[in-house]
Amino acid sequence: MMWSWIPGNWSLIWQLTWENLKLGVLPALYGLVISLPLGIIAARWRWFYPPTLTVVNIVYAIPSIALFVALIPKFGLTDTTVIIALTVFSLCVILPNVVEGMRGVPAAVTQAATAMGYGPLRRLALVELPLAIPVIIAGLRVGVVSSISLASVGQLIGVSSLGYLFIDGLQRSFPTEIYVGLVLVIVLAIICDLILVAVRRALTPWLARS
Amino acid sequence: MSFFSWAWDWITQGANWHGSGSIPPQVLAHVGYSGLSLLIAALVAVPAGVVIGHRGGKAAIVVTNFANAWRAIPTLGLLTLLAVYFGFSPLTWLLPLVALGIPPILVNACEGVAGVDPGVRDAARGTGMTTWQQIVQVEVPIALPLILVGVRTSAIFVVATATIAAEIGLGGLGRFIIDGLASSQYAPVAGGALLVVILAICVLALFALISRLVIPPGLRDQGRPQ
Amino acid sequence: MVLVGPSGCGKTTSLRMINRLVEPTEGTILLGGADIRARNPAQLRRGIGYVIQQTGLFPHRTVEDNIATVPVLTGWSRKKARDRARELLTLVGLDQDLARRYPHQLSGGQQQRVGVARALAADPPVLLMDEPFSAVDPVVRASLQDQLLSLQAELRKTIVLVTHDIEEAIKVGDLVALFRPHGTLAQLAPPEELLAAPADDYVAGFVGFDRGIRRLSFVRTAGLVLGTGPVLPADATVAKALAAGEPWILITDPQAGTPRGWADAARLGALPGDTTLGQAAAEPLGHTFTVGTDSLRAALDAAVLSPAGQAVGVDGDGRVLGVATFDQLRVAIQAADAADDREGPRS
Repeated sequence: MMWSWIPGNWSLIWQLTWENLKLGVLPALYGLVISLPLGIIAARWRWFYPPTLTVVNIVYAIPSIALFVALIPKFGLTDTTVIIALTVFSLCVILPNVVEGMRGVPAAVTQAATAMGYGPLRRLALVELPLAIPVIIAGLRVGVVSSISLASVGQLIGVSSLGYLFIDGLQRSFPTEIYVGLVLVIVLAIICDLILVAVRRALTPWLARS
Repeated sequence: MSFFSWAWDWITQGANWHGSGSIPPQVLAHVGYSGLSLLIAALVAVPAGVVIGHRGGKAAIVVTNFANAWRAIPTLGLLTLLAVYFGFSPLTWLLPLVALGIPPILVNACEGVAGVDPGVRDAARGTGMTTWQQIVQVEVPIALPLILVGVRTSAIFVVATATIAAEIGLGGLGRFIIDGLASSQYAPVAGGALLVVILAICVLALFALISRLVIPPGLRDQGRPQ
Repeated sequence: MVLVGPSGCGKTTSLRMINRLVEPTEGTILLGGADIRARNPAQLRRGIGYVIQQTGLFPHRTVEDNIATVPVLTGWSRKKARDRARELLTLVGLDQDLARRYPHQLSGGQQQRVGVARALAADPPVLLMDEPFSAVDPVVRASLQDQLLSLQAELRKTIVLVTHDIEEAIKVGDLVALFRPHGTLAQLAPPEELLAAPADDYVAGFVGFDRGIRRLSFVRTAGLVLGTGPVLPADATVAKALAAGEPWILITDPQAGTPRGWADAARLGALPGDTTLGQAAAEPLGHTFTVGTDSLRAALDAAVLSPAGQAVGVDGDGRVLGVATFDQLRVAIQAADAADDREGPRS
């Protein structure tokens, strides 16, 4: 393990890490933004959910490289391709969690809210969504962690991320580079996961600390 | 031209169906590598997960917390690392494929068994079943839907990783993609990608069929992407 | 035997020590004279029936396969075990066509009965029941309790039942063990003794405030003295009724002898002497008590509900045998007390 390589290539490492972070976090956020309205619709209109779930299951089975490749004609070998593909995968994980989270709110609670005079929009924003937060964030965590990891595959179509270190390391038979890449991807993922756990704690002061 | 037209043109070209690196052998190779890895992963993870789920305790907590951690590991990184050390040998691809195939099965088997209704587990013990009988006759059958979802998730993951493993020289459908990208030819890239997608969908269909056949009518459940 | 007490008193734990689901830290439990620790736990449990509150029915097996669990474990052929399962379905009062259904298709009460059937399948001498009826609604619970009593009358098994409901303990128990909050035994006695002679204030409080009257459920009406003075058939005249000198007249059917109603003598006085009682207005009976089989409590209740303040005693066919005033009932109660004192408490 050639430790000296690291300080020598600090700016490259830093740039790739930043790229990977963007490619990991943005899709998860976009996925959340799309999942929320879709999930609310699916929770409200029950018939909508089973077909949606089937589509989600099928789409999630598509290997990431295949989806990247499929988007090339439209979006080229760019960041956009990777971000769109990873947004789709994040959606597949977050949407079911939005639905499950909302369905998990006890009927007694929603009925009490209605009985006390909350209109449907108020009830949604002030009662159902807040109570669904833990489950939604659980989905968001999986979305972010997978996106950060899958972003490295984008290197295969030339979209730069920490995956560059893997490919370059392979071509130069230089394991140090690969180790650095591995550690950074995992560390990035852990940091984002912990941030989301902290966000969840901040948003749900009524829950007991386990 | 769209992705589909590129892919369809390439797939329907007769030349691509004959010869040593053509579609049929690569499909077979892909299925072979994936199947073998999945089998080994399942043989390790199902018993381990079931036993840990039955016992509960610290090990079960570790496994459940582990549930999300495995997704953080970049497959490409593992593959390239092993390729640098071992060159191209079965170890370089089998090890990562099995290692990455284990977590979804392990977690689901553990949670499936641990999640069996406590009253049912108590009744199984109270009616006089030995530990083996409790696990095999009661807990595993009830946990079966979740275990199957875990194996299915693992299968999809292994198929996808085998595709990427072409980068380190593995055969299979990934070959078309990687070689095509290297030589700037989009047609085989699109064709290979579409074939992989079709394979993945076939895997889903296969598991749907297996579920229907194997799960007793008392227990039909909804699976989710894991 | 019923183990009863407040939450956390250890009654369930005590029960679960019998089939070694919980290992005792001190002391010994003998089953049929042999220490339970000498036997392999799984083997031991196959010889003891076990019923729990949540039923614990195996969701992935049909009802008949659930019931057949222990027989199959002990080596019976599947066919023989299933036949036995069907017998048991009848025994617990369920329809044969439930055999092939799955537990989630049954109601709560039905599931509980299947649980009991499963426990009885291998015909174990001992049956353990942990709050078996607590999870069903009161109407279903009452019918399950009655069924348990009739089953026990037929099968004569040793049953240990845990409950937090003192009424259930009194209703079904032959012997009741009442626990204190932290696990010590407060009293071990038959239910009527618990009601008649609670060991201390804790027991008296737990048992409830109207235990004096509830205790009367255990005293039979066999020795009760009945009067026939006020009893007259409907074809008798008002004049004859007034001549009897009773404040209230019980009008009976001339052929069947069954009671029709009470007539107030004061109101009768206003009618012409030759009117028959059948034509006079009568007040409703309340209810009657069957002499010999019903308890003194039922007789007392009948007296309270009757407009005349007298209980109407009938035989098995409904024919009036006589009436009992409050005073006659009081005599019977005191006689029963005296008999108890003479015989001493039973164990």
